[in-house]
Amino acid sequence: MTAPVLEPPAVTAGRRPRIPTTLHRTEVILAVISTVAFIALAATTGGNLLEEGTLRAVFQFLAVPMVIGLAQMSVLAVGQMNLSVGVLTGLCAMISASLMVDSGWPAGLAVPAGIAVGALVGLINGVLVVATRINGFIVTLATMTIVDGVRFGVNGTATYQGYSPGFVRLGRASVLGIPVVFLAAVVVALVVAGFFARTTIGRQLLASGGNPLAARLSGISNDRSIVVAHLLSGVLAGVAGVLIVALSGSVNASIGDDLLLPSFAAPIIGGVALAGGVVSVLGTCLAAFIVRLVDVAQAQYGINPRWVDLIVGAVVLGAVLLSQTRDRGRAR
Amino acid sequence: MTTSTEKEPVGAPETEQPVGRAAASGLPFWADPRLGLLVVLAVLVAVFSGLRPAFLNVPLTLVPMQADISVFAVVGLAQLAVLSLGHMNVAVGRMAAVSAFATGFAYDRLHVPLVVGLLVGLVVGAAVGALAGWIITSTGVNSFVVTLALDFGLLGLVSLLYSRFSGGVAFSVRPAGLDALRFDTFSDYCAGNICGPPIPLVVPIAAIAVVGVGVLFRYSRIGREILMTGSNAKAAQLSGIPVSRRVIQAHALSGLLCGLAGFLLAANNGAFSASVGEQFLLPSFLGPVLGGTLLAGGAVSVIGTVLGATLTAVIQKGLNLLQFQVDEMRIYIGLVLLLALSLDRLRHVLAERRGGRP
Repeated sequence: MTAPVLEPPAVTAGRRPRIPTTLHRTEVILAVISTVAFIALAATTGGNLLEEGTLRAVFQFLAVPMVIGLAQMSVLAVGQMNLSVGVLTGLCAMISASLMVDSGWPAGLAVPAGIAVGALVGLINGVLVVATRINGFIVTLATMTIVDGVRFGVNGTATYQGYSPGFVRLGRASVLGIPVVFLAAVVVALVVAGFFARTTIGRQLLASGGNPLAARLSGISNDRSIVVAHLLSGVLAGVAGVLIVALSGSVNASIGDDLLLPSFAAPIIGGVALAGGVVSVLGTCLAAFIVRLVDVAQAQYGINPRWVDLIVGAVVLGAVLLSQTRDRGRAR
Repeated sequence: MTTSTEKEPVGAPETEQPVGRAAASGLPFWADPRLGLLVVLAVLVAVFSGLRPAFLNVPLTLVPMQADISVFAVVGLAQLAVLSLGHMNVAVGRMAAVSAFATGFAYDRLHVPLVVGLLVGLVVGAAVGALAGWIITSTGVNSFVVTLALDFGLLGLVSLLYSRFSGGVAFSVRPAGLDALRFDTFSDYCAGNICGPPIPLVVPIAAIAVVGVGVLFRYSRIGREILMTGSNAKAAQLSGIPVSRRVIQAHALSGLLCGLAGFLLAANNGAFSASVGEQFLLPSFLGPVLGGTLLAGGAVSVIGTVLGATLTAVIQKGLNLLQFQVDEMRIYIGLVLLLALSLDRLRHVLAERRGGRP
């Protein structure tokens, strides 16, 4: 899970050797912070955190924020944003649940169908951005509104439950003490990391994000990069939706309402540049873990849940400030 | 009232489209997005009133719609204030919520009159906005990230404040005059036999904001310098414009307008609650973007923003009368937004192809 970075050739000349190290440093810092926070939390709660049930819950509910963060990261890679990730996750969850409950599909078909819906919406986002040349922020703002409506259109405000007991059992199961949904999220993260680090199209995405002009001159289609990034984002939102279906055992149309802000928080804390061209899968996952620890701390200490938002806001800002001062130090 | 500096957007990202620059770049008049908006508005009003004559019912439809438009327009202006810089404010809703809290607190605890409470809210909104602007200029962090983090922070803060000071999620206090703002129109006030038009009392407040922002960006030195900064920050800096101060001022203006929008919404709903502003983010972008304000900065359209807000309110009210569900309404609003933007883009491309550029 390395941090792929692709600097356009023109810029590379002067400062090439430094950038990978700083990126690594972000990840190291995040790793240190999360380890220290975890140990501190475990110590101050008298080992309560290390009990099997608590520990399992910590990682079970880490899976969705991780995948959602990666969904946002993949569009940030080309310098775009996807405001529809949250509601799209809800839509995919609702559709795969609906297929199982209303249409009687087996989980084995409903899960790929849910992911396919995510892919389709992602593809539409990408094609709209490329075809109309309207800013991606605005396009996904519009599709967010539409998807939000469709999400409630699936089943109103009613709840789906009692679908495929086997699938839910799988979603709550553990292998060697590690929750299956978390393993699934790790696999997804590895695949995404491999995509950006090893595949041609992944590298092209980063090139387009880093410097569109240089990318075009090198024969890369920026339009294709944008479409692929949105497609990947949609697929990952679909995966997150399916994970929710497997984990929670009952879904309704409010799923995804509170996922948009965390989807930005994880990559931004993780050191992903909003301007595009730089991604960090490990950083995003570690950041999602830190945000999750804030949640856990709230539950363990019985703090007013509203403090969580306040703290996460401060952490996002702090992380960005930190990377900013470091960048300035490097520039001098 | 399209205002723009003479410069082309230098270094604007590839996907950034100069919609709304029609007036500035000598394109034919039909490339002006505001004209398109007027046409769409006229068609929609004709369709809705044809399908449901109740659409033209004054007390049931037109009066509440004007109140809605007032809120949407002010929210749109709040976003426009920072779009002028090429920045974004994704904390519009929460800034409105914080100032609505301050206003409600002033009424509940300090028993201040209506106007003083409004002023307290505006000051708090402006202060929060200025804080965002100050963080952006002093750190150089992207405005999206700063306001996103601020949004998180304020989300928590607002709930904490309400649970601490109001013992719930809303202040139930009603200062004198709030109910008049909520229910009365000028037709309730008569001088002899002559009564005012059926316009809610909140409309003039929003109108003052619209005119104020329009004058600021068109005639005032500060407004022009903010646009210059948005067009090309480096050039502005080199021309002796205090860029950081202008950024802070634009964000403070945005916060102030958020505060005003929060007040208007609270007045319309009759309660200062934690849910004020929850639905602000989408309309805040709808108005300016439909009206032709650039995301890249350097050009704003105040009239376009009002028209965009009106369009949003007309669609919502019309679909509501046609008994669409809320979720279906969302689908159509999103589709209309996409359609309007695509048509706008198409019109612009056609206009350029006709050799509209000087």
